[in-house]
This record gives sequence, structure tokens and C-alpha cells, in this order.
Amino acid sequence: MVSVLSTNITSPLGFTTEQNYQAVLSGRSALKCYEGLWGLQEPFAASLFSEEQNAALAISGYTRLESLAIRSAQEALSHTELDVASERIVLILSTTKADIGRSPSEAAGAIAKALGLTREPIVVCNACVSGVSAQLLADSLLSAGLYDYAIVVGAEVQSRFIVSGFQSLKAVSDAPCRPFDIERNGLNLGEAAATIVFSRNGDGVWHLVDGAARNDAYHIVSPSPVGDGLTAAIEAVMQGQDKTRLATVCVHGTATLYNDQMESKAIQRAGLSDVPLSALKGYYGHTMGAAGVLETILTMRATDDGIVLPSKGFTELGVSEKVCIGKTQQPVSVGEKRCFLKLISGFGGCNVAALYARGTMDYGLRTMDDRLRTMDCGLWTKTHTVRLSSGDGKSLNEIYREQIGNYPKFHKMDILSRLAFVATETLSPLPRNGESLPSITGGDGGGSAIILFNHSSSIVSDRQYLSTISDADNFFPSPSVFVYTLPNIAAGEIAIRHHCTDETSFYILQEKNETLMQQILDASLRASNVQSVISGWIDAESETSYECELSTYEKE
Amino acid sequence: MEQLINDLKVQIKEALHLEELQLEDFDENTPLFGEDGIGLDSIDILEIVVLLEKEYGIRMSNPKEGKAIFHSVRTIAEYVQKVKSE
Repeated sequence: MVSVLSTNITSPLGFTTEQNYQAVLSGRSALKCYEGLWGLQEPFAASLFSEEQNAALAISGYTRLESLAIRSAQEALSHTELDVASERIVLILSTTKADIGRSPSEAAGAIAKALGLTREPIVVCNACVSGVSAQLLADSLLSAGLYDYAIVVGAEVQSRFIVSGFQSLKAVSDAPCRPFDIERNGLNLGEAAATIVFSRNGDGVWHLVDGAARNDAYHIVSPSPVGDGLTAAIEAVMQGQDKTRLATVCVHGTATLYNDQMESKAIQRAGLSDVPLSALKGYYGHTMGAAGVLETILTMRATDDGIVLPSKGFTELGVSEKVCIGKTQQPVSVGEKRCFLKLISGFGGCNVAALYARGTMDYGLRTMDDRLRTMDCGLWTKTHTVRLSSGDGKSLNEIYREQIGNYPKFHKMDILSRLAFVATETLSPLPRNGESLPSITGGDGGGSAIILFNHSSSIVSDRQYLSTISDADNFFPSPSVFVYTLPNIAAGEIAIRHHCTDETSFYILQEKNETLMQQILDASLRASNVQSVISGWIDAESETSYECELSTYEKE
Repeated sequence: MEQLINDLKVQIKEALHLEELQLEDFDENTPLFGEDGIGLDSIDILEIVVLLEKEYGIRMSNPKEGKAIFHSVRTIAEYVQKVKSE
């Protein structure tokens, strides 16, 4: 089981984990109200670095995002004795947008180099769940023996691009957010970096016991109203575990109407109504790619002290199901309550649950290693492959019209999603009429997973969205274009079409590295019941320059 | 009113990429949302909000309050006419 060697949080509340923890304990919030910032007409509240903080964090020759990530990783590494030049260390960067207009893989390459790392970094780009996805990937890669250490860095900086996009979705509050509260009216965006250094050995105090990712296969933006994906993720992780060991469930709690309501459903359905919740967005806002890492670290620190952190902004319960959430600090027994659950959900229908435990593992937790012993652990092999590229002579629209049709949503999709859609529709033996994959209808459970890779992220949609906000006199940010500036929406579209309810992941690599892609696929689905997988490379540099090679996989 | 309805049909079809919907089949009374209607979703509502601002200068701060407005092309047209005459 992997364990935590070291952590860092770099946020407007402080540049170390301890500074952040003490700030949160004293009730401080980094949220402030802004009006007219970045030329945005509508006011908004956000957690942003001050000019002085930005100056202190800046590293010459690096972007703001890169500098922030490097500072956070370096501070975390300073508490370890790792030889950064070792080939046994991997950097996993969790970010949703990195630097706008540039592939996150370039930022990851620059950060890895600045840290002195030698192996190719991996970017996890699964919208809001990325920070916990990245930790599960670290767990998988280390448990499979591919590396000894993983440096998971979640980082996000805010901009006119992101704030205007969430405003166009009517999801942003102009006041500090109120998770789970009756008066909640939207999220706040935040910037931060957070780092966890994981070790393959159990030499750290905190352990990542198990995790699961499940897709709603419901809508690309709205969560399942009954919390289907999140419930399934929690159940997969908590099956056979003793829930009385849970000190807390650290929820996503974005303070949007739909997210918090959905989470309350999933918590009730999973039988966790009596476990104290902590919702931390009232301190930092939604720090997107950093959120899952940052909130995990704070919850570890609070559980060390026997504390459930107060959910700042919460006053009166405003969700339909009973949950145990409070605005004041709650004590828990350090000896008994040594575990916590982290939940997170995001666009593209993603939901992730992860279970963490403190100290020695002598209290009957089922670990991934236990699960592996009872499973068929074969590797995944390709059964069918489809290749599409801009040089084929036929456009995606032509293929759609001639071979597919009758799916009007196709015309709303961006290039990446259209590419994924056309590829999977023409990928024998998948049914073309959008029916479930055979393994699901076969009734043996397990579902289907989708794991996609590329280099350019969502660069085409990024440019298109920028064109809707670049002119102050013609400023009409498009919500439908903004949604597709998250590349994992392509996986979400396929999940909806084929009812794929297992893991959906999107990774951004330096280049098309088939060895690494196969390693990630094998490692991340090693301890999974999943029956079939759609995986491969899907990249678009422009509307007329794209490449896709997707395959179905089965276990050997 | 009829001109406004026709303009809205063309604008909505274009903004929402309703390429498989023929204008002559686009009835102004058909519900825009739900399976019995055109089948639009929550992002489509928000895109119509952008359209109303862009084409008609109408700013809606809270589209949830105006759910009835987005029932059909006719109800949108009535809303536009009402706001314009105020």
C-alpha cells in the first residue's frame, strides 16, 4: 500500500501545509469579492494570490502556473531525502487548464525539468476530480512496481478565461460560497498548488488504502440527480470496510445547487448519513486541479489532531437528505477514527472516492493488495482498433452522415468529442445504435471503462472560447464552447452514448508513447472488475488536423 | 410577432447547432425541452440566454427564474416583445 512521505499546500492562506492548516483552524478564508477584475462585468468572489504573493512565488523563465507548481513540489521534497534524478520517480500533474492556449504537457515538462526529474511526467485532466484521480494513478503505478515514488502536484491559476466560463454557466457566486447551505448560490474559483509525495513502501504515516472512479453516463455537465456514479464509487471503496473507523467524509461541496444535493443523495444511499462531513470550499473556493490534493492534505492534518474541520459558509442545511455537517469544529477520537473518505465529482460525469488511513494497518482494513489476491489480474490486450486522421479524405461530418446519423448532439460537440464519437461508433464490435456494451448487458456487472490520451488537451476549443471573450465590445462567452475546453468531456460523451459507468480518465502526455499508455491502462485497471475498456490516442491540433487511434481491450 | 418568431427559429437553430432540425418542422409551440419536444438541455438554455443578449440586448441575470420563458419559441418571442416594449 502506498503511503504519504511529505506534503505541501501553497495558497493565498500560506505557502506550507502547516501555515494553511493553522489559517483554516483560525477560521480564515482566502475568498474576496472582486468587481471589474480582468475586465469582467459581473462581480465574483474568488481566492486569488495577491501581487506580493505572486512576486514571491514567481520564478524567472517560468509561467505563473509552472512557478506555483515548482514552489509547492520543492517545498514538499525538501522534507524528504529523495534523489530527484532517480529513474524511479514520476511527476503526476493534476490541472484542468494549466496555462490557457498551451498544452498542459508543456507545463508538466517544464516543471519536471526544473525539479531535476528524469522520467516523462503525466498530466491528469479529468476536470474537477483530477486531484484525486492523480493520487489513484500514483497508487496504481507504484503498486504495479513501475516507480518507487510519485510526486503528485495539483495546480491551478485563475484568469478571465475560467471565471467568465463558469459565469456563463451561471455557476459563480458573487459572495463567499456556502456549501450545503439553504442559501447557496454557486461556487467560487480559487488558485493554489498542493503536493503529495507518495512512496511505494508503507513508510509514511498516512496510507492511500483504496479508491474508485465511476461515471454517471448521464450528462456532460449536470450530475446524476440521484448520485449514481458517486454512490457506485463510494460503494466500491467501502465494500467490506468498517465505516465506524471514518473520522470524516471530506465532500466536494462546491456550493452549487446541483452538486451538493447530488452528494447528499450519494452519502445517504451509501449509508454514511451519520459520518461527520467537512466541506472546505469556504476557505479556498474551488481550486479545480489542486482541489482534490489540497483537501486531502488538510483532512489528513486535521484527522492527526482528532478534528473535523468546520464547513465554513454553512449555516442551515439545504439538501434533501440527512447529512452530518457543521459550522463548528467537531472532535473525533484519534485512536478509533483513523480513516477518512475523500469524495469529488466533476464535469464529464466523473466521480471519485478515495479512502485514507493513518498509522499501522492493524485494524482490519481491506487493501488493494487483498483485493488483488481474489481477482483475475491478467493484462489488457487489444481486440479491435479504429484509426481516423485528418488525412483520410473524409471529414468527420461525412462519416457521421454516411455511417452513423440520428444523434443530433453530434453537431454540438467540439472536434475532440466528435472524433471520439465517430471513432467509437465505427469501432467494431461496438453497437452503432448507442446500446450498452455487451459486457454490461450481459449482467455480470463491472461496466466499461474509457481511458484516453493526447498531447494537445482541448487546444481547439480553448482557441474557440477565447474568440468569444477576446473583444470587449463583442463579449459573449459561450457556455457550450466553454464546457468543451475540458478534454475529458470527450470521454463523458462516449460514456453517455454507450452507458460506460466505470472509470473514465483523460491523460495528457509529452507525445504518443504507446509503452507508457499500456502501462497506465494495465496499472490503473489492475484491481478493477471492469469487463471491457475503450482506450487510445485522440488528438486534435485544429479542426483540420487530427489523429485518433482507439481500441477495445479485453483481459488476457 | 411572426417575423420575430421566424428570426428566433433561425437564430436558435444556428446557435444550438440544430443541424438535423428542418426550419419548416420547427413549430413555435413545440416545447423546447423534454423528450416530447425538441430535447434541449440546461446548457442550451444558457446558450439561448447568450443569444438574447447578443441579438436583442436583453440581459437575464437569473435564467432559472425564467423557466416559463423558455417553454417554446413563441413564449421566448412574447418575452422579447414584452421587454422591448417596456
